[in-house]
Amino acid sequence: MRVLIAEDDAVSRRILETLLRKWGYEVTTTLDGEAAWEVLQGPSAPSLAILDIMMPGIDGLELCRRLRQSQTTMPPYIILLTATQGVREIVKGIEAGADDYLTKPYDREELRVRVQVGARIIELQTKLAERVQELEVALDHVKQLQGILPICSYCKKIRDDRNYWQNVESYVADHSQAEFSHGICPSCYETTVRPQLESLQVSQS
Amino acid sequence: MMSFDQVTNNENAGSNPHPLAPASASGITSDAVDLELLNAFEELQLDDGSDLIVELIDLYLQDVPQRVTEIREASIETEWVLLKRAAHNLKGSSGNLGVRQVAEICEKLERMDGHDSPQTVADLVRLLEYESAMANAALAAVRQRRLG
Repeated sequence: MRVLIAEDDAVSRRILETLLRKWGYEVTTTLDGEAAWEVLQGPSAPSLAILDIMMPGIDGLELCRRLRQSQTTMPPYIILLTATQGVREIVKGIEAGADDYLTKPYDREELRVRVQVGARIIELQTKLAERVQELEVALDHVKQLQGILPICSYCKKIRDDRNYWQNVESYVADHSQAEFSHGICPSCYETTVRPQLESLQVSQS
Repeated sequence: MMSFDQVTNNENAGSNPHPLAPASASGITSDAVDLELLNAFEELQLDDGSDLIVELIDLYLQDVPQRVTEIREASIETEWVLLKRAAHNLKGSSGNLGVRQVAEICEKLERMDGHDSPQTVADLVRLLEYESAMANAALAAVRQRRLG
């Protein structure tokens, strides 16, 4: 999993980077909020971001707000590094859009488990997003068999989107996940099959 | 040597032209850096042949002079926002490496504003410069030892 660290202090940044790499994460680092915003808007943006609350330019709080306002399908899980234990600062961070926070100086084990929680939530969100996508595709198929279908009154073929006339069987097979097993209904047996069989018997005798 | 508590609690602390002269600190003090905390980074050492502790010391020593200058200038110009930001940054990196005295002085500086007397702030900045020099020397010695 990819993690972004946005921290202007070089020592703190290097320590965080080392810890996360040691725990098996792929790490990207930035020195300020502006650069972090650019990375998080990129095509392969990290799914978890650790943001220092106090940075030059865009600070951690403003970055949280921007990320929550942006219309991305998978917004990052945000851990905010706060400077003090003060409740007010923590509340401001969570209200701005952070998922979690850590107070500096942080305990390494606490950081490890909080990042793990983030990773677990991201995994759940990813699975959920995949299921939603599958359902959307399935729903799309169902939708194609709804609405008005142009059907020939005589031969019962259906006109498709490309203006081809298809028989009902192939049309339904193309536009749904239904499969056909073939049989003969009693009415068709009486009206079609029986006369053919009788005709065959007569011709053989 | 005066402690920062003495400086912040005594308005007359700065009356001596050299109140922070290292009379009692004849060299690198053992409490300038918490070596136990610093050595704890040993367990984070990567297997790529680099020395994380040396790397962290280098990053710190590169950063400190600029931060201290920012703090001094901001205190002279009573730019409290700049002072707080620089003190906050130096507190963070100092705390990480076990440079406790510097971190504690920075914490005091972070809380300074227009209500504090200019003399108190100036004394605290001088104490910071002194403690910072001590800590830097201690870290440089650790660095030297590690590089053999």
